[in-house]
Amino acid sequence: MRLRVATGSPAALKVVAAARSAAAPVQLCWAEPGEPPPSPLCPPWAPALQLESGAVLFSPNAICQYFFLRRGQQPTDLTAQWLEWEATELQPAALAALYARLVHGRTGAEAAAALGGALGHIERSLAGRGTAYLAGDAESVADVVVWGTLFPVLRDEAVPVAELLQSWFRSMTRSEACRSAADTVLLPQRLQEFTACLQKLPPPRPLPGTAAGC
Amino acid sequence: GPVGDELALLEKALGLQSGNKYGAQGERQVPVLQTNNGPGLTGLITIASYLVKQAKKEQLLGSSAEEKAVVHQWLEYRVTQVDRQSSREDTRTVLKHLNAHLEDKVYFAGNSFTLADILMYYGLHHVMVDLTVQEKEIYLNVSRWFNHIQHYPGVRQHLTNVVFIKNRLYTNAH
Repeated sequence: MRLRVATGSPAALKVVAAARSAAAPVQLCWAEPGEPPPSPLCPPWAPALQLESGAVLFSPNAICQYFFLRRGQQPTDLTAQWLEWEATELQPAALAALYARLVHGRTGAEAAAALGGALGHIERSLAGRGTAYLAGDAESVADVVVWGTLFPVLRDEAVPVAELLQSWFRSMTRSEACRSAADTVLLPQRLQEFTACLQKLPPPRPLPGTAAGC
Repeated sequence: GPVGDELALLEKALGLQSGNKYGAQGERQVPVLQTNNGPGLTGLITIASYLVKQAKKEQLLGSSAEEKAVVHQWLEYRVTQVDRQSSREDTRTVLKHLNAHLEDKVYFAGNSFTLADILMYYGLHHVMVDLTVQEKEIYLNVSRWFNHIQHYPGVRQHLTNVVFIKNRLYTNAH
């Protein structure tokens, strides 16, 4: 299967990390600027996974989910809940934070204020369940998906992060799959392309109350 | 609220005894289901998938790994794109996308009826009710799919039947 990622795509990190974490045999291809996406449904900057059947997955979370499913890891109520929360709450907040940081030149801490409610939600959830990972004692698709969205914001050491979240985030960042994905996707010149890609997106719409977690 | 109503429709479509009470939280009115054990479940996809498992109709979540991922993708599209349309322009974009996807498919996941069809039907009902005859023809594949799902046993319930001109829907079929 062929995983096509556009240079600078904010979602590239999580799909590459998920492929490595679930040991999925993907052929990674960087889309050339201006290259048309493999399906009219794919936004040009979104990753696309072309399956042997000919089907194309264009949702980054569905792509991550597929890598874990084909290895036999079925979704649970908790992984489903994290993926839904990530798609509806965390992604818009993280995009607003990155936009503030890279396009408007705000400091990492200022930018992360956009994420405040979402970070609090993760910290409370880790504390409430008392597990090392988001959906239990072992790493799951939920950890990779949430990590992939947070990494570009939280890699800035100046961002204040609570204790349990910090320890989860560090252990994810140190894992082989995430480290190699970050090396592949966020190389210095790629970070510039990441900024360039964000500049082309419309400014994030203010989403009332979305960052406020549950 | 509307999300609780939708989940009550889903319970009935799945043949479950209703009795769950749904709360809603935040500006987006995200549904919350309090379960007997644990902190409860939050989010439309999460609760709907839980209800499908309760009803022992797991095939509605997809059979193969690929079908499960495709179902997940369209459930996510429902909550991130269909539910966020804030203008007529957004609605048109969504209908255009869905029309392209459904061009060569009976259901969202291809040949199998899944939860993606049920939740997309509930999520689009208010849009389809308002389409003009001309718009129903522009989004012909969406119209054909919608008409099919509204006649699927147990799905529509008390919702308004949307009228389509049948020979238009099917003469252009592949």
